[in-house]
Amino acid sequence: MLFNSIEFLIFLPIVFLLYWFVFKNNTKIQNVFIIFASYLFYGWWDWRFLLLIFLSTLVDFFVGQKIYQHLDEKKKARYWLWVSMAFNIGMLGFFKYSNFFVDSFIDMFHAFGYDIKSTWTLRIILPVGISFYTFQTMSYSFDIYYKKLKPTQNFIAFTAFVSFFPQLVAGPIERASNLLSQITNKRTFSYDQASSGLKLILWGFFKKLVIADALAPIVDDIFANYHTYPASTLILGVCLFSFQVYGDFSGYSDIAIGTAKLFGVELMSNFKFPNFSRNVAEYWQRWHISLSTWFRHYLYIPMGGSRVSQLRAVRNIAVIFLVSGFWHGANWTFIFWGGLHALFYIPVFLMGRNRMYADNVVGEKTLLPTPVEILQVLLTFVLVTFSRIFFRSPSLTDSFQYINQIASNFTYEAYVHPMGYRMIDFYILLALFIIYEYLIRRHEREPFKFKSKIVRFFLYTVVVLAMLLFYDDGVNRSFIYFQF
Amino acid sequence: MKKFLIKTALYTVLILIALELLVRALHLYTEDPPRFIDEYGVEKRVPGHNGYAVTGNRNQNFSEFNINSSGFNSYREYTPTKEDFEIALIGDSFIEGFHQDYDESTGKKIEIALDTVEVYEYGYAGYDLANQMHLINAYQDQFELIDEIIIYLNYESDLNRGVYEPNKQRIAMLRSTVFKIRDNIKLLAYGSKIGIVDPIKNLITGKAFQDTEQGYETNKIEIPERKEKEYLENFKSLVSLYGFDKCKTTILLDSRKTSESFLEYCDENNIKYLDFAPTFESSKKPVTLIYDHHWNNHGRELIASVISNYMMSREVSQDCQ
Repeated sequence: MLFNSIEFLIFLPIVFLLYWFVFKNNTKIQNVFIIFASYLFYGWWDWRFLLLIFLSTLVDFFVGQKIYQHLDEKKKARYWLWVSMAFNIGMLGFFKYSNFFVDSFIDMFHAFGYDIKSTWTLRIILPVGISFYTFQTMSYSFDIYYKKLKPTQNFIAFTAFVSFFPQLVAGPIERASNLLSQITNKRTFSYDQASSGLKLILWGFFKKLVIADALAPIVDDIFANYHTYPASTLILGVCLFSFQVYGDFSGYSDIAIGTAKLFGVELMSNFKFPNFSRNVAEYWQRWHISLSTWFRHYLYIPMGGSRVSQLRAVRNIAVIFLVSGFWHGANWTFIFWGGLHALFYIPVFLMGRNRMYADNVVGEKTLLPTPVEILQVLLTFVLVTFSRIFFRSPSLTDSFQYINQIASNFTYEAYVHPMGYRMIDFYILLALFIIYEYLIRRHEREPFKFKSKIVRFFLYTVVVLAMLLFYDDGVNRSFIYFQF
Repeated sequence: MKKFLIKTALYTVLILIALELLVRALHLYTEDPPRFIDEYGVEKRVPGHNGYAVTGNRNQNFSEFNINSSGFNSYREYTPTKEDFEIALIGDSFIEGFHQDYDESTGKKIEIALDTVEVYEYGYAGYDLANQMHLINAYQDQFELIDEIIIYLNYESDLNRGVYEPNKQRIAMLRSTVFKIRDNIKLLAYGSKIGIVDPIKNLITGKAFQDTEQGYETNKIEIPERKEKEYLENFKSLVSLYGFDKCKTTILLDSRKTSESFLEYCDENNIKYLDFAPTFESSKKPVTLIYDHHWNNHGRELIASVISNYMMSREVSQDCQ
């Protein structure tokens, strides 16, 4: 079920009312209801893959107990941790990466002059959200292994934790220490939490329906026909893609966090206005936070993190970014994208500037950013946007040809929308969006945090009006991150 | 909880009211002048209505209409005489032309090109060939004075019936409470226009649960042979019922969407037709609007040029003199 579908608009109020009115007195029944609603939500897309979620739940629930039982015997505990990783990564590997490995193997042989006819390439459907929920269940086993968490004996609560529908399909990838404890304990309805949830849902819909969906046809057109366009259009295309993917994914996260709030659950923030980052390190503290912290906690730190020699620390950073790229998809473009980010990040790390913006935002003490900050933000945006050419292109060859086309056809030509729409509408929309995001840059969970009720009401109305003004029923409404 | 539900409902209502006011103030909705069936059984617009037809979410196409005393969208009144040279342009929404200002219509463009003619546009959204033939027959006195008749035939949709019956159901439906509510709540009219109400409609009608794969196979309209025969029979039936003045009537059509057997029949029976497909095909600019398949200003320019060139170069056969 898509958040931006009529089915969800019917599903959500029904589940909300039943949850708070019918099942509110018994946490166990409430959790059973969460499982039912979550499986319905997921099964709406394809019920067959519910089995995978259930298997992942079952394995990690059992493995969690086993790890805990053998915490004093490091070898055995590690063995059980490997069981969890083997199962989850094995599942992910089969559904997401098997064809990639087969194809890459064949390509490699081809490069050496051997032609292999593939009979191994499989017709596999990628189960939606598999990269998210496998990472979430693995985090549970890791946390027990690292003694940060005791395993739960409550299978129902654990199943609800794995399948919790607001974040099941595209995150935020939660830690058991945060989400499981909320699911195990009794939830009470809070007016402030629920109303803040609704506001976040509204803002998430705006980002998805207005920003991402309005830009999608333009980006699709430019990337599909890049060989016919001049540099100005190609630069425009990748810049707009930066906003599209941000609107799409952060919009999804906002709807997920807002929906969870309606059920008395607080999910972690996933985006903190990454477009205002002053260097690439800050960008990664603000973009897809739940994934970057996952890699930080369960890969980077176990590898030694930065508390090793500088050379090893650089190696660790490179590994994290390459794995992160590979997590996004079974394509060399994503690995290259990750590698580029490692290249951008390492100089920042070597200069010791990777944590300097961790606790503040651009224009921290002033209304407007300083000229230096503007330059820093622009430079970071340029680097991140450049890397997006690889993120968006279907192959490495296309990525390099796209860049080559920019360099070799460095001319300007006004871009005409594929459907003939006025482009000025989109430029105004983006300018207003950037200005508004800058104004709320400290409050990623409270996008309408203004004292005046009139101002807030005006903003709600404008946001809904914008959804109507930019609604396009011809656009594919799925979320970009569903494919990962 | 009670406070939450009440405030949510209250804010929803207030936002909807604010949106209604904004949609009205920005004129985002489109107007549809009322329709009726006159004493001759001809379906048309109620005379004397003016307003604006709007296409697109953001008023991308905003045009004024004017329903004349004959009940059609035109800047002129229809008073044919023996002395003047008049052309009747009959058709559906393409000829009705709500997608252009009424004083920049296809007919006006023909008048400018030909200088000494008057073009009467009998356009009405939903007209098929039965409507058109009935109209000519019903207003026989007027059409006897008109010198040339051009009928726009949309082959895919205009030959579904061989006998004319006024569509009283449609008029009744448009006058029903549901439609009155839709027309009076401009937010609803706007939502309906941009397609945002469709998912709800699909859910109510159960269409949302049907396989949508067929929906991706657009723009491939193939008319089966059985339909071709049926269309031809309907055409013959209408011709035999109302007659067809071959001397002054020409069918305007797009040969890309018209069956060859129909064109062959026209050739064999000396029925004149004017094919605008080559002109459209050679156009470097788009000929239709962004939001729907109706002709844009360039498309109308091309249609006007096709008709005016035809009028200037046509040869009147001896039988017709």
